[in-house]
Amino acid sequence: MPVNRRKLGALLCALLATAAVASTAAASHRSTPGVTSKKVVIGGTFPLSEGPATGGASLYKTIPFAEQAYYAYVNAHGGVHHRKIDDIVLDDQYTPSETVQQTTKLVEQDHVFADVGSLGTAPNLSTWGYLNKHKVPQVLLATGDAYWGNCVHHACQGSTKPWTLGWQPDYPGEAKLYAKYILAHNKNAKIGVLYQNDAYGKNYLAGLKTGLGSHKNLIVDAEAYNAGDSAQVVGAHVFALKTHGADTFVIFATPGASIAALATLPAIGWSPVTLLNNVSANRIFMGLAAKNGAKLDGVISTTYVESQTVQANLPGMKLAKKIIHTYAPNLDQQFAAGDQNLVYGLAVGWTFVDALKHAGKNPTRKSLMHALRNMNEKNNPFIYPGMVVKTSKKRTFPMEQLIFIKWSGGNSGDWHHFGKVLNSGH
Amino acid sequence: MRHRLPELGSLLAVAVLLSVLPFTLSDYNISLVAQVGIFFVAVLGLNILTGYTGQISIGHGAFMAIGGYTTAVMSRDHDTNLVVTMLMAFAICFVVGLLVGLPALRLSGVYLALATFALAVSVPQLPLKWSKFLGGSGGVQSHRTVTHLWLYGAAWIASAILFALAWLILRGRIGRAFRAARDSEIAAVASGIELPIYKTLAFGISAAYAGVAGALFVMGTNGFAQPSEFGVFLSLQLLVGAAVAGLGSLWGILAGAAFVGLLPTVSGSVPVIGSAHGRNVVFGAAVILVMLLLPEGFAGLLTRLRRLARA
Repeated sequence: MPVNRRKLGALLCALLATAAVASTAAASHRSTPGVTSKKVVIGGTFPLSEGPATGGASLYKTIPFAEQAYYAYVNAHGGVHHRKIDDIVLDDQYTPSETVQQTTKLVEQDHVFADVGSLGTAPNLSTWGYLNKHKVPQVLLATGDAYWGNCVHHACQGSTKPWTLGWQPDYPGEAKLYAKYILAHNKNAKIGVLYQNDAYGKNYLAGLKTGLGSHKNLIVDAEAYNAGDSAQVVGAHVFALKTHGADTFVIFATPGASIAALATLPAIGWSPVTLLNNVSANRIFMGLAAKNGAKLDGVISTTYVESQTVQANLPGMKLAKKIIHTYAPNLDQQFAAGDQNLVYGLAVGWTFVDALKHAGKNPTRKSLMHALRNMNEKNNPFIYPGMVVKTSKKRTFPMEQLIFIKWSGGNSGDWHHFGKVLNSGH
Repeated sequence: MRHRLPELGSLLAVAVLLSVLPFTLSDYNISLVAQVGIFFVAVLGLNILTGYTGQISIGHGAFMAIGGYTTAVMSRDHDTNLVVTMLMAFAICFVVGLLVGLPALRLSGVYLALATFALAVSVPQLPLKWSKFLGGSGGVQSHRTVTHLWLYGAAWIASAILFALAWLILRGRIGRAFRAARDSEIAAVASGIELPIYKTLAFGISAAYAGVAGALFVMGTNGFAQPSEFGVFLSLQLLVGAAVAGLGSLWGILAGAAFVGLLPTVSGSVPVIGSAHGRNVVFGAAVILVMLLLPEGFAGLLTRLRRLARA
């Protein structure tokens, strides 16, 4: 028996020694993760497939493919400081526990330089603390919640979050513009709001109320649906708004629900002035709504990227068409049908490449953040002409401009811009 | 005691392996093995109920939800020590489990499965109902987050303690009563076993285990508890884990936990042509394959191997 014990001890010692050697080996090369002389490896999480209760989130899955197409285009033209960009896209099914796992994998297994463009409010919230704690850039997020800009200098959930940066105009700012529009056109409007029962929808609703100011009482009813609710449930909420006598219908929803809501209107014989949030206003989603019976003419929304269908002659859209055709040919049809998420993805890719150029010849995570916090892009070819992507110490929301769009031309019609570029900032 | 030696030996080997692993694995792999530990606790709990007393539950994800929200809310509102929240999750879920066990007394087989299924469907709706307190569909963010290593330690220490507890419970009088209830309720009653007491007790213990797993699960998502995490699929995963482990035995649970804890992650990188749902396809195929080859789970395999070794 004593012999056995000695053997066991020896075995343990050997194992521990191996472990020690392994861990020192891992620690010995400590340069910037994800950056070599030939490559910059970045990654992001997106809903490539539907999770259990995600209500159409995978409709967004073309975004990362457009980003990858843009990086392929840049790589084919020499890369950034002679480095090629390698973008790892992982599926998180829009489910926070999956986001945590996949992001951990990106950071600790794939050793990415930065988490770029990841999609969704709740998914990004679930990795927010982790990425900031490990000082990994979590940037150009595909969600317009105000957290990403508000917590750079102020502590949220116990600490500041300087490693996080959004990109698109924030939701409350967008909602404020809808409030202004309503007040300008009908001082006695009876507003009915359909919103998603989470941070996303509530952010929008709060923005609308702020925008209405003393006219807040114009809201006759606000109906909350839950993400993943069926079309019938959403339809019932829409009907409730009608019975409250609303004549102006504001939709703060994700695509699944907004499609259902638009399709409900003709079915219940209600034709209010309809305002739809930007996230759900993709031409592809509108087409799906029309297929389900929606009448689209007159619906109002906002945008901040160029339209490949009504602005096809702009140089940016010509370039977009070429990039998609060359580097993601299987998305050609989707592009031609007016999938704005493709333009969105290209625009985000453009901003990342721009920031990476400004992060120096030997970029570090710190220098990338510095570049991202001091952007002044007036020439991003994919965003609406005249809009800027700008950041500074004080300005923590990169985009603060929107332009109104209105649908015309029937169910095979399109969005048409009207009015001037407006400021949606704080 | 002599015939227990191989079992004790393998336990010791697993324990040594688990305590050495963190020194050799990358941080990411530590988080994966921690994930296995979390499922170990949950599958162990479900096995006590389904394997030892024969009551099928498709609702254990709901108990995990209750445990997880206990941790998140206590941490958010009172900044409670996370270990304390685990104990609370255990206690609360024990009580809830007893309460759920009461109506379950009148049901058995498929009917009980359906009742627990209802639990799995309805509990994740509660946060939407009381969205001020439970955060709605946006979830609850707890005040503290833990490192992978901390989670690893917590998950496997909890596993060890709960495994020992399960072993103590099941080898004695209570375990005999459980098994008797499973094998024949009439015979059990005839031998003087108070069925209602033992059946509800099994529900309580099992739910308490799931609660601890839920608490750990939430710590593993950076302290984020969200209703969509605890849907029906989670409950099904646990049942699959218990079946793969082998019902009515404690010796295959590690394999069952590894199966449900690792496979969805590992198979995420398997490309299935023409489908974005490759992961689900692989998971489903693996379940079918394992059940075909090992109808009694890994525990059955171990028994067979031992018989072979003796012969």
